[in-house]
Amino acid sequence: MEIFDSPWLINMLAKSSKTPQGRLLALFDILHDWLKAPSFEHTSVTLGASCLSLVNYCLDQAKLLGAENPELLAEHIVLIAQNAARHAMLQPESNSLLHAKIVANALIQAQTQKTGLAANLKSSRTVFYGVAASMVMLIGAAAIWGPMLIHSRSAEAQLAQSDQRINNTAANSAENQNKTLTAIDASRMYAKYEQMRQGTCQFPEALQIPDKHKSIYLENVVGGKLPTDLDDLSVANFYLEKVRCNFTPMLMAASK
Amino acid sequence: MSGLREKILSTASDLFQTQGINSTGVDTIVATAGTTKMTLYKYFSSKELLILEVLKAGHQDFQTWLNDKLNANAKHPAEKLQKLFDYIEEWITAPEFNGIGFIKASAEFPKEDNPVHILSAEQSIQFQEYIKQLANEANIQDADGLSLQLSLLFKGAAQAEQMKRGSDAIKYAKIAAKILIDGSLTR
Repeated sequence: MEIFDSPWLINMLAKSSKTPQGRLLALFDILHDWLKAPSFEHTSVTLGASCLSLVNYCLDQAKLLGAENPELLAEHIVLIAQNAARHAMLQPESNSLLHAKIVANALIQAQTQKTGLAANLKSSRTVFYGVAASMVMLIGAAAIWGPMLIHSRSAEAQLAQSDQRINNTAANSAENQNKTLTAIDASRMYAKYEQMRQGTCQFPEALQIPDKHKSIYLENVVGGKLPTDLDDLSVANFYLEKVRCNFTPMLMAASK
Repeated sequence: MSGLREKILSTASDLFQTQGINSTGVDTIVATAGTTKMTLYKYFSSKELLILEVLKAGHQDFQTWLNDKLNANAKHPAEKLQKLFDYIEEWITAPEFNGIGFIKASAEFPKEDNPVHILSAEQSIQFQEYIKQLANEANIQDADGLSLQLSLLFKGAAQAEQMKRGSDAIKYAKIAAKILIDGSLTR
């Protein structure tokens, strides 16, 4: 079936959502609607039909959301979509594409929740993607704000100071808590992630973060993953508190 | 059952799995099995019939093996469901794994009115029904939904593994299956 190799499908996916997870999962909704549309005559879905552009598009999304094995995730999701589409043509009432979407979501979780803490906190699943969405905005904001800040000495000084503070905080909390990450710390961070998901968040100063903190910031603040290392947690928490969010509901903001 | 018939069946099964069904000629089968075309056609009137018999035997083997494993190692119905993907993993990651018969056959015979395609579609449904039965025994509310989900997950993983051995597809499918099953059990 040519739909799997159509530029139309990839265009629809690209427009579907602001998050890579949303764009991956939209594949199933789009196919579901497409197969239900009465104006189309669907002949057959060729299993294993070449759909390299779709697989590549899904691969990009899988990489964006930080999948452990993005190639496999992309391949598996496309295979599931093809099988479900075939199934849907034989038994439209089974809603197989919507079930396939649930499967794909579980696979995304399987590939993104690493071990230990994150896996234990079941409520975490949606947070990650919301925060990931904010990364797109953050990059945009950074592009505008960044150049202005680069030459600002006071900003640099401020960040140097905060760097010092972070190191102190990290050291203190490490001593206090005997290197164990408590559930309270974790739930506090998750609450913040959840809150961020509701709004549009910015932290243009991210460009000025010391290099050694950049990866922690990207993974744990932008990526919404809980750090397992206590020092990292302190650093991540510090930056997490600095992110500014606008909680005007999307629709209201758009109508202004 | 004649030993020769068995021999032809297992030889054909090996060749179909390793070289593909369409690309394995009857000549190759008889040469490998050390018999003649005449004997082959005595037991199987056509290549198509031989393919159907190979598929039936292969599916039976897989289902029996899986069922025996689950019955021997899981006591409660929910436990059977939870262990399902453990044994699927064992099957798929075995060195001699060459793909799941009905999945490969339906890809090789995509025409929906082809008898091989029809049989492989039936086997696919049978497998989903088997999962549904496990889900029902475990008192899962939406047994239809869960069995469809697990069967889609399984098929995709088997195909990914067929395309690339050692892909880890089943490893992630197992985690995903756990998420899906746990979600259904607590509902």
